[in-house]
Amino acid sequence: MNVTLFCIFASYLVAFFFEIARLYRSRTLMALLSWCFVAAGLLAHTTYLINRSAETNLPPLLSSSHDWLLVLAWVAIVFYMFLSYVERANFLGVFVLPLVLILVGTSRFVSNEANVMFSGQRVGKFAVEAAIRNWTMIHATSLLFGIVGVLLGFVLSMMYLFQHRRLKSQLSATSRFPLPNLEKLGSLNWWTVIISVPLLTIGMVTGIILGFLSRQGPAAISFTNPNIIIVLFAWLGMVAFYLWLLKTRHPLGKQVAWMTAWAFGFLLLTIIGLQLLTGEGAHSFSTGRNEQGGLLDDTELAEKNQVDHLFLISINGGADR
Amino acid sequence: MILQVVYCNHQSAKLGVREKLAFSSHDQLRAAYHRFRDDFPESEVVVLSTCNRVELYTAHEDPADAPTQEQIARFFADFHQIPVNEFVNDLLEQRGPEAVKHLFEVTSSLDSMVLGEPQIVNQVKEAYRLAQENNMCGPLTHALFQGAIRVSSRVRTETGLERGRVSIASVAVGDFGKSIFNRFDDKTVLIIGAGEMAEETLRYLCDEGAKDIVVVNRNLERAEQLAAAWGGRARSFSELDKWLGEADVIVSTTGADQPIVSAEKFFKARADHMETSPVFILDLGAPRDFDPAISEIDDNVFLFDIDHLEATCEQNRKTRTGEVQKAKRIIDKESEKFMHEVYHRATGPIVKRLREEWHDIREEEVQRLFNRLGHLTESDRQAIERSVERIINRLLHPPLEKLKNEAREGTPHGLLDALKRLFALDD
Repeated sequence: MNVTLFCIFASYLVAFFFEIARLYRSRTLMALLSWCFVAAGLLAHTTYLINRSAETNLPPLLSSSHDWLLVLAWVAIVFYMFLSYVERANFLGVFVLPLVLILVGTSRFVSNEANVMFSGQRVGKFAVEAAIRNWTMIHATSLLFGIVGVLLGFVLSMMYLFQHRRLKSQLSATSRFPLPNLEKLGSLNWWTVIISVPLLTIGMVTGIILGFLSRQGPAAISFTNPNIIIVLFAWLGMVAFYLWLLKTRHPLGKQVAWMTAWAFGFLLLTIIGLQLLTGEGAHSFSTGRNEQGGLLDDTELAEKNQVDHLFLISINGGADR
Repeated sequence: MILQVVYCNHQSAKLGVREKLAFSSHDQLRAAYHRFRDDFPESEVVVLSTCNRVELYTAHEDPADAPTQEQIARFFADFHQIPVNEFVNDLLEQRGPEAVKHLFEVTSSLDSMVLGEPQIVNQVKEAYRLAQENNMCGPLTHALFQGAIRVSSRVRTETGLERGRVSIASVAVGDFGKSIFNRFDDKTVLIIGAGEMAEETLRYLCDEGAKDIVVVNRNLERAEQLAAAWGGRARSFSELDKWLGEADVIVSTTGADQPIVSAEKFFKARADHMETSPVFILDLGAPRDFDPAISEIDDNVFLFDIDHLEATCEQNRKTRTGEVQKAKRIIDKESEKFMHEVYHRATGPIVKRLREEWHDIREEEVQRLFNRLGHLTESDRQAIERSVERIINRLLHPPLEKLKNEAREGTPHGLLDALKRLFALDD
């Protein structure tokens, strides 16, 4: 089935409009229509990822920045559908769908070429070892779920701040735009930080291991890449926030929400911004092709790969565009 | 005869105005009644003062005796020692059938902030009882308030207005409380005051799982009764500061005429708990029990008063539009019936006297005729009596029918006056 990125984007966009319409029109009908379009988008999304996987002969997580962002959006949508089923009266979509649209939109502008490390195009001396593949899988998966946690935490903190502001203004908190209560939002927010930061840390540690392992492969990673340094600082900020959260016995809900919004917002901005600015993300792998489009030999490839790469190896297995 | 109401309610006036005009204690109300009697001795008066409304119902046999809206505004201003211009634009007035309809709607809770709430009937009954106690009621106000209570009962029986979340307390707990807290079984609930509203709120909090309940009241005995009924602890009023510091949920429903908790007092009481856990304060007093500035002390303090519940109540109202229409139809019929009875009562004495006078004339003239015609048999006499009776009834029918029809629209003062003059019916 031929599914384009536009189909996915359009479905989520229409679903988002129906979510907004729920504020003004028949709630049940609009919610049903929104849910139908999200489901249609998810179906298209899944088909697209399966097609991509068949095309590149790689799981989407390992394939390219483009695919990795789409997997991230896919997991976010699955979480959203589950949560909106559990909390039917809530307007999660108003917060989640814009982020998903940003992820899907960003994926349009980043590399979609298959990761040279696993593409199977280069076999022989520089063929990727099974161990590297396994480490990369752990790296990509932990980062993926870590960043889903970050997305969720960001959404929850936004909801918390919105609900808090509404209650402080003594406005009705359930009438037109129902949201979960502050206690629940604060608790969920706390747990997203507690779970996502260790996952991100696992991702970072496996990234460092992969950085060393990559030196034996065709795409060596440089630890002095500015992209990697920026992401490293973002991660250190997250760890500091995590430690503060564990140390503070009764953190103030609003304070946690603000800090989560800033920390997670910064991390999301960094990741998406880097993807957009470089077209690749924190990594940049060589394609294994020369300027004329022909395959490089082993020596040429090794020279070309005196480059970057650490964080999110799997995000960007894609080639220079 | 005239019935009228001068009032302000949650729709016409802010809480700040209502609390200035409120009669918060029985003593204050008693003083107000004495003063009103001095100013308007011919008036029947009932004052209804709740957190959502201050309404003054008056009734007079002679419309000329009725105070104007300006006079009643002046009475409020003098009694409460506040300038008239602070509230005069918030005062509304209804007269005659509209005043009756207004009271019927109020008592049936159609005019309440929370549609279908049950407390208003008791508040109306209490207002009526206090007016009786102070000898302020007369035949018109008796009929009016008894009718209102009866109509309210009919509305509640025949419509679904009371279904769902209906009281201010339930909306406050269900909407605001549950937007802050996920559960109540691990929260300390402080109830200040031990009246009906306190009990009502406590019921909803207990339904939500509240277990740790502390009741503080000036009258410790009342606090003990309420605490015992809901498995809580009663504490004396002197312990208020301590519990203000420890409670997660605070519900205040006292009848104090000025705030009992200032911002400074609250800040001191919560000094050890600031920035740790949220506190939900529900100030259901009018005048308010908590200084509104308390809300600004900290991000974790969520203070709500009666007016803040309005938006939710409006939503509540919209979902029950069909029931409201049904209730309004009942009230329209009942108020029409009531007015008809009132007007009928006004025309009754004239009709009675007219009939009596004509009957006397008939008796006199028939007797004179019988004296002159002594040969008449008993059956002839009976036939003549029936005939004259029919003539009188036929002659009386058009004016009385006209009077009856006119009375449907209001007291037919002109017609009554004309009848009195034409038939020489003295007062």
